[in-house]
Amino acid sequence: MLLLPRFDYEEPKDLSEACKILAGLKGNGKIIAGGTDLLVNMKKGLVSPSCLVSIGRIPGLSEIEPQNSSIFIGSNLIVAKLTEFALIRKRYPMLYEAASVLGSPLIRNRATIGGNIVTARPAADLPPPLIAMGAKIKLKNKRGEREIELEKFFKGPGETIIKQDEILTGIILDEPPMFSGGSYIKLGHRKALEIAIVAVASFITLDKPDGIIVDAKVILSSVAPKAIHAVSAEKTLIGEKPTNKLIEKAANLASGDCTPIDDIRGSAEYRCAMVEVLTKRTLTAALKQAKKSR
Amino acid sequence: MKRLINLIVNNKAYEIAVAPNRTLTQILREDLNLLGTKEGCGIGDCGACTVILNGRPVNSCLVLAVQANGCNIQTIEGVADGNNLHPIQEAFVEYGAIQCGFCTPGMVLSAKSLLEKNPKPTEMEIREAISGNLCRCTGYQKIVEAIQAASKKMKKK
Repeated sequence: MLLLPRFDYEEPKDLSEACKILAGLKGNGKIIAGGTDLLVNMKKGLVSPSCLVSIGRIPGLSEIEPQNSSIFIGSNLIVAKLTEFALIRKRYPMLYEAASVLGSPLIRNRATIGGNIVTARPAADLPPPLIAMGAKIKLKNKRGEREIELEKFFKGPGETIIKQDEILTGIILDEPPMFSGGSYIKLGHRKALEIAIVAVASFITLDKPDGIIVDAKVILSSVAPKAIHAVSAEKTLIGEKPTNKLIEKAANLASGDCTPIDDIRGSAEYRCAMVEVLTKRTLTAALKQAKKSR
Repeated sequence: MKRLINLIVNNKAYEIAVAPNRTLTQILREDLNLLGTKEGCGIGDCGACTVILNGRPVNSCLVLAVQANGCNIQTIEGVADGNNLHPIQEAFVEYGAIQCGFCTPGMVLSAKSLLEKNPKPTEMEIREAISGNLCRCTGYQKIVEAIQAASKKMKKK
């Protein structure tokens, strides 16, 4: 049996108390939400914080709040709920797709959206669609709160710009523009409890149903130290009329935009080839959606 | 330092003093002597430790007992009604869905959660629902058949 090392446990009732406790711990504390990543790392002896600060009893952090032209998703919301809310499925289908392939049903009932972000795993499922849709996140400490673009949050595997006294409180997603569509595909050896070999999230916006592409985001995951933009693919798409030929060209460019490594799950060469396939498939699905949307 | 927590396990209330580093699996097995919940991998991969926590099946090896304070928990011991097996348990016996038995409590609880939400699941939905529960005897086919049979049986009642 894998045992957990000893630690203290705090369960603040609100955010300001949580910030105070975390600041007082001076880097020896860790936030626990779902614990599906943190407790595994603690059992393996990879991290040993002296105190865990639970955000599980803080009101407002486990909900989705629709606002005027955006939604706020509390960081402690479990991944299963992203697959259950009709609003997410309807308005942010790409996020729904990514949430429904994360871990297993059992993991999804504990793992949180915030945890999937702050752990900064290169193969995490939620960041690619969130970055593609331009999500922002809120970070709070004792002194105040800041809002930053999610894509500026990640530095590398396990590394982010979060300060040791900051708490990720939630994610802000703007309402998708008219005539936009997105798709996320994860390639793994099996369908559950799998870390992606390659995953791609594509999001495109047209000026009208049969118009030109005014914005394109192609996010590649598991092929670099963090989720990256397929820069040359995006450039090729913007300003053009979407055709199969254009999508094929963009997909081909995307495979040159990544810098994967060989590992137990797949070779770099295979990953590049799969980036091309998945980029093509996600762009085709995104386009179909964009033509239909409103 | 130990903390006092309250749990409702299989409709029975408990007050227990626990150290923060003990998991829900440990408390159920070691303090409450409910040995039906198994610990396999201890890292959320195998599902042998599945319990239903506030209506949702979870890996109890990745839940701190202190996090479960105030929660309602169902373990495999709470599934049968006295000496009468639950229709899912009956179907597991009938269809030979149990070999070594180690995954069975988790499989039954994942199946129960599925059938409560979705009484008439497709084969794919069943496979998806038990995808976090590993059976190393590889008896998946019979497990899926048993859940299908249980779904029919429960509909008739």
